[in-house]
Amino acid sequence: MKRFKKWMKARPKHPFIAEGSPEDIEYVDLSSALDQNEAMFQAIFKNCSDMVFRKVCYSGQESLVIYLASLADEQLIDDHILKALFESDIEQEQGRNSSGAEALGKSIISAGMTKLSSDVKEIVRQLLDGYAAVLTDSDSQALLVKANGVKHRSLEEPSSEQVIRGPRDGFIENIATNIGLIRGRLKTARLKMESVVIGELTQTQVVITYIVGIAEDSLIEEVRSRVTRIQIDGVLDSGYIEEFIEDLPYSPFPQVHSTERPDVVVAELLEGKAAILVDNTPFVLIVPMTFWTGLQASEDYYIRWPIATFVRWIRFLFIFIAIFAPSLYVAITTFHQEMIPTNLVLSIASSREAVPFPAMFEALSMEIVFEALLEAGIRMPKQIGQALSIVGALVIGQAAVQAGIISAPVVIIVSITGIATFAIPRFHFSSGIRLLRFPILFLAGTLGLYGIVLGFLCIVLHVASLRSFGVPYMTPLGPITMTNLKDILTRAPIWARRIRPQATGMSNPVREPAGQKPSPERNKRK
Amino acid sequence: MKRLLRICLILPILLTSGCWDRTEINDLAFITGTAFDLTENGESLLTLQFAIPSASQSGGIGEQPKKFFVLSATGKNVSDAFVKIQKKSSRRLFTSHRSVIFIGESLGRQGINDVLDVFAHDPRQRLRTYIMAVKGGEARQVLEAQYPFDQVPMEAVKEMEIEQSEIAVTLRDFFMASSSQGIHPIMGVIETDTEGTGKSKTSVFKLSGTAVFKNMKLVGLLNSYETDGLNWARDHMEDGRINSELPDGKGNVGIIVSHANRSIKSEITEDKIKFKILLQAKGSLVENNSTLDVTRPQNLILVQQTLEKAAEKQIQDAVMKLQKRFSADAIGLGRELYRNKPKEWKAIQTQWDSKFSEADITVDVKLSIGGAGMAGPPLQLSEKEIKH
Repeated sequence: MKRFKKWMKARPKHPFIAEGSPEDIEYVDLSSALDQNEAMFQAIFKNCSDMVFRKVCYSGQESLVIYLASLADEQLIDDHILKALFESDIEQEQGRNSSGAEALGKSIISAGMTKLSSDVKEIVRQLLDGYAAVLTDSDSQALLVKANGVKHRSLEEPSSEQVIRGPRDGFIENIATNIGLIRGRLKTARLKMESVVIGELTQTQVVITYIVGIAEDSLIEEVRSRVTRIQIDGVLDSGYIEEFIEDLPYSPFPQVHSTERPDVVVAELLEGKAAILVDNTPFVLIVPMTFWTGLQASEDYYIRWPIATFVRWIRFLFIFIAIFAPSLYVAITTFHQEMIPTNLVLSIASSREAVPFPAMFEALSMEIVFEALLEAGIRMPKQIGQALSIVGALVIGQAAVQAGIISAPVVIIVSITGIATFAIPRFHFSSGIRLLRFPILFLAGTLGLYGIVLGFLCIVLHVASLRSFGVPYMTPLGPITMTNLKDILTRAPIWARRIRPQATGMSNPVREPAGQKPSPERNKRK
Repeated sequence: MKRLLRICLILPILLTSGCWDRTEINDLAFITGTAFDLTENGESLLTLQFAIPSASQSGGIGEQPKKFFVLSATGKNVSDAFVKIQKKSSRRLFTSHRSVIFIGESLGRQGINDVLDVFAHDPRQRLRTYIMAVKGGEARQVLEAQYPFDQVPMEAVKEMEIEQSEIAVTLRDFFMASSSQGIHPIMGVIETDTEGTGKSKTSVFKLSGTAVFKNMKLVGLLNSYETDGLNWARDHMEDGRINSELPDGKGNVGIIVSHANRSIKSEITEDKIKFKILLQAKGSLVENNSTLDVTRPQNLILVQQTLEKAAEKQIQDAVMKLQKRFSADAIGLGRELYRNKPKEWKAIQTQWDSKFSEADITVDVKLSIGGAGMAGPPLQLSEKEIKH
């Protein structure tokens, strides 16, 4: 364990260079000589084939437009910068006193978002963000014009969280679009978006969003401090952020909720939680997360409540099956044969008659085969999916049973377990559950039911002591809060869900006035 | 380091208390039934019936494979014989799924104290196992009967007992009755029989009455008719039938009893003990082979009285046999005294058997018949033939 920890925390011999590139280019401020400036940018973007330097003469003045062709929208640059420069009237220009970058922005360039800067570092950063810089002769300021034009895919229904009823749009890789999806659902100025840039080289934009007045300040402060202290070379997905901000990194249970659905984010924001959007990934993080979030689907709140309640109970049942079904089978058939009804024990015994392996090995190998099938199914090219399902059905199924290698009850148990795993709506949560199955199975095979009870106790102890951003993982069941419990054990009707979760929403606890339950009298009055 | 030490200390506690008796299910021989007999030279003969798991899977076509097989051994006592059978078996004998224990009649008459000793204190023996006496012949014959229903024949016996068509006694009931005051234990009786003719002859078994035990010895058997009477008296009748001939040869009637409530009143005088068994029962008329229209009140009363008399006689017959022939109180009249008149019971406790056979027992049956419409006047008769 010590060694393992040492290995995990191993420090490299070299120091972390916070300022990124080790190149020896001096970032001096812009000078008023255009040639000098050009030479500097040429040096900075040396060997960058997508860098465009376009010299333009307008009104007798020389100017330089530079942008990265790969990031900028060239159509926009043509229409709003170059064309504008060429068509600018010399007479009119000379009538004005001011010249240079500021004047360009004020009267010539017709793009929406512009700013002035003389800081080369800033200019470089903006160029890398898809801006175009317009430098003029005899001016030490550059005009930065927003011209991003990187193509994004269109909004689609997220494939990892599909619904039958409910909105079908999902987040995409572009953070601006994602923010728009949330803003479009929450039309209030109290929705705040705090931007942080993380990643020395990727310069990834990370946005912390919350609703002022609902989310507690202490939570936001905690999120802010955990996010801003991250130092890393690159952020490719919100998973990078998640691993830096979670409370207990060794737990199989996710402590940060991630979703692709804007409606889920808005629902959680309304409960006083905070969301973290990361550029270039459709997965948005939500903190704090509780155990129950893993068992809830957004659709629960869109379908009628009796059905949603029933579905939730099914999930509670299936989470137990997902963890314990194979272990219970192994424990009972190898240790506690007296517990099975006589007819059942005889049919299990008859199907095991030809099987050469112990029950635990049998269950373990089938579980591993199932996991392999699952993994292969995710990673495999779609064109050969059919082949996998055929082969998979043969392996976990009739052929293995007929060959006498695996007994039929084990196949049934493994299949039920597999179904149960997919009945858990959050994939990152069910993966943790899947992982727990194996230690429990091992305990069951060596200690019987006693081992299962031991394992169950360990899980309960762990989950009960787990916290996510200061909120106990089992809230509101442990510590118990009766008002919130009705939305956990059942799905309370929307008109009865008056109080926000106590763990996060207590600075503004009431969601809706009382007495909105529809009834014949009330409907008539209307 | 301290943490590691703690884990090392806790782990043995957790692990050594576990169950380490891992046995694969296909290394067990499931005993489904046991028979105890007495050999001619006084040794005990133990017979075990095992389920054959591979054969219990439905074969479909072809000859039906054997569903069970039987091993037996003699020994000085039961565990001696058990060890001998274990030596004949490649799999560990597993008793927890045993559903029935059979006691041969000859062994029963000699006393079953030694046989039952094992079951009283071995946790692997289930007290919910049914115990039955086998009428005539050896108990092992029942185990060898090829009963076509069910995976193993003994499951069939268990089902028969659960149906409670006659006396269903588990080991627990038997032990409870034999250890409590003022009652003698009983158990169900089974006998082998053959069904069909010629080639298609199959051996079956049938429930046939009650075996009455006294001091762990079989003292006598009651037939099915008397067993019903005993069940009424023990308040154990769930859904009994009463059939009776109407007086003057008018035909016969029958009812199914749906609710029965028995109460016993006792009275102790100087020299006599008096019991009054009162049975209040509700039933519905299901058979009417007479020409009477039972929807008429006076006819219904006639039917009711006839049936009451029949039930009274049935109970009386059983009580008489217990009193005069066996002098064994299987009804539990002594227990009634023990519960309600503890002082008097203490005085007569030791000589209860003789007091019981001298006691004055009267039986009173009160029937209320509902559902006369279910029977009504016979449809096949014309209006004129029906007596109103």
